Amino acid sequence: MRDAGIQTHESLSLTIGRVPVQLRFPCPELREAALGRYAAFADAREGGEAKGVLPIRLESTPRPPGASAGFRYAHEGAQVWLEGATAHFSGVRSEYTLDSLLRILLSWLLPPLEGFLLHAATVMRSGRAYVFPGRSGAGKSTLASLSPTGSVLTDEISLLRREGDAWRAYGTPFWGEFRSAGSNCSAPVQGIFSLVKAEGNSVRALAPREALRAILPCVLFFSSEAQARKRLLDLLAGAVAEISCYELRFRRDASFWDVLPAAASPVSRRGRAEAQEARCT
Amino acid sequence: MHVNEGPRDCWRKNPLLAWREIEGETVIIAPDESVMHELNDTGSFIWRHLDGRHTAAQIAGLLAAEYDVSAETALRDTEALVADLAQRKLLVRAGMAEGEGGQW
Repeated sequence: MRDAGIQTHESLSLTIGRVPVQLRFPCPELREAALGRYAAFADAREGGEAKGVLPIRLESTPRPPGASAGFRYAHEGAQVWLEGATAHFSGVRSEYTLDSLLRILLSWLLPPLEGFLLHAATVMRSGRAYVFPGRSGAGKSTLASLSPTGSVLTDEISLLRREGDAWRAYGTPFWGEFRSAGSNCSAPVQGIFSLVKAEGNSVRALAPREALRAILPCVLFFSSEAQARKRLLDLLAGAVAEISCYELRFRRDASFWDVLPAAASPVSRRGRAEAQEARCT
Repeated sequence: MHVNEGPRDCWRKNPLLAWREIEGETVIIAPDESVMHELNDTGSFIWRHLDGRHTAAQIAGLLAAEYDVSAETALRDTEALVADLAQRKLLVRAGMAEGEGGQW
């Protein structure tokens, strides 16, 4: 059933990391701005409701005080909350606020789907995803700028999902200083490389606990709910056990690729050769 | 149980935090922060017994029996760790309502 008053031209369907959502706008202007930002992630379907697609209504008023919500979060005057099978955003006055609320919502939706968002650049090479987590200033955008055109999935927010018993990294429309439209591609994860700026290049394998310590501050997560926090920790513990993790000390040129493990024969920590391929939508 | 010890001298893990053992050691993520706290082997032993039913003295007794350590050292180390964990709000007093907190 369609929502009363929501016209086809005022909705925008997106799929980010295999999570389908449909934004429903109160005005066409905001939709145009969003389409400009998320074009690479837009789906053909429009209007109405499709099974498995999460509707996101952009509201003109905040969530009523005391109203029940499955998840809620306030961010710089804007709000995101989940009520039943519908998400709501309020206080969205620009595509930048929309961007922030989408990140927050995805960080909540992903862990039950065995995924999470990470402050990380991801670069594809030989069909494999190299994930470089780091907080602001760690060198994510620098590293992206040193990578070949078309190989960067994101320079800011990476999306990782466990699929079967392998991990896949997805590009997202959430970009940093690199300022590109985003790459709607995904690839099996070759490794996670925690960034440290240095005079030279070197790579050191991290034990799972070291890896968890390195990536935890880079994970996007906004819920204070204990169960959600536990589920995330379990997921991250699985990720650092199953993905090869490293500390990458790198200098500001493309020579850091020389020290990274080659993608010729990718083998996960479980010792199993991975036969998956890169995909672009 | 030591003289003057009661149920309020027992501590339990803060129900709002997330923790698990990795490679035999404990990692803890506290509520409202993304900082990882880590406990070594003996710290993990103490952590496992912070279940709201054991006092620090009882846990120290178990620790001394399990590891090659004197009763005095075990008690001193256990009390120091419990105090530290409580200060970081990773523990709450047994019988205390959620969110009531507690000072060591």
